[in-house]
Amino acid sequence: MTLKIVTIGLSLAILFIVIDFSRRGKLTFKYAAGWICLGILGAGFATFDRFLFLCSDFFGFKLMSNFIFFSLFCFFLFLSLLLSTFLCDQNKRNDIMAQKIALLEKEVCTLKGE
Amino acid sequence: MKILVIVPAFNESGNIAQVVEDIRTSGFDCEILIVDDGSSDNTYEAAKMCNVHVARLPFNLGIGGAVQTGFLYAARCGFDIAIQFDGDGQHDARFLAQLIDPIVSSDADLVIGSRFLPPNLGYQSSWVRRIGIHFFSNLISFLTRLKITDPTSGFRACGRKVIEIFSEDYPLDFPEPESIVEVKRCGLRILEIPVEMKQRISGHSSIRYFRTLYYMVKVTFAILLCMIQTKKR
Repeated sequence: MTLKIVTIGLSLAILFIVIDFSRRGKLTFKYAAGWICLGILGAGFATFDRFLFLCSDFFGFKLMSNFIFFSLFCFFLFLSLLLSTFLCDQNKRNDIMAQKIALLEKEVCTLKGE
Repeated sequence: MKILVIVPAFNESGNIAQVVEDIRTSGFDCEILIVDDGSSDNTYEAAKMCNVHVARLPFNLGIGGAVQTGFLYAARCGFDIAIQFDGDGQHDARFLAQLIDPIVSSDADLVIGSRFLPPNLGYQSSWVRRIGIHFFSNLISFLTRLKITDPTSGFRACGRKVIEIFSEDYPLDFPEPESIVEVKRCGLRILEIPVEMKQRISGHSSIRYFRTLYYMVKVTFAILLCMIQTKKR
């Protein structure tokens, strides 16, 4: 029972922090969505733990804790992959911006007659 | 015909003036754009003194990013031919006219200056590099059914179609071998002509020691990925 309360508390804390960050503009919805899902799923599974046992049995795990660790591992793997794509996008945008700044600076110098 | 010579330069303050001088004394009619790739020395000031077009990147993008800036400029300003000419003094300006000939006569869209085509004159690079070049030559030949003897050569001329492609999409890190595959996949014509190369005037190459190995692995993956990428054109 204590573990259940701690898990629900932790999930709600994650939800609260993420929503607060989003409210203050420190996280956009695009990046907050994954964490919000994690918070909701954590609280949901902790409240209705019977469903967690069913899932664990269905996927053939002998211990439910193994199922939880495996699910979390998959989640973080997916999250890092997603963040890598965001990083790559950002990097590409930085490069394009740098090139455009260089050409604009050149144009300004030409106009100034430097 | 409007011709632009793109000179990417990173910490080449010791070479850049000589490179510009070489191009000018060759009598080749062109405009010169030096792209300072976020150098930490006074490459930018040295380039400005040469009285040519100079673009300074706010931070270092790597050779691909610098050259692409040149293609972007060429595309915007309506140049018909853009020539990549390294800022380290290794390329010989006497071959500029020969390099553009196949483009002028509409025989090719991309012309690569090869140091390994007969009569094989001039500097041929270190033996470690030659192994790498030979490997990429075989890999590209196998994948594209096109014999390229010097796939890492940065001495190349591009026609209008290639300028437009490269201004939108150009490999950033070690772009030369990968860009050949990209051009070939767009159905454009590539040709090699023999050129003479020299040893760099001063400074050192960015690809040394373990980076040579990293370069080979990375570029191999990049070429293979390029082959399966969705065609953008």
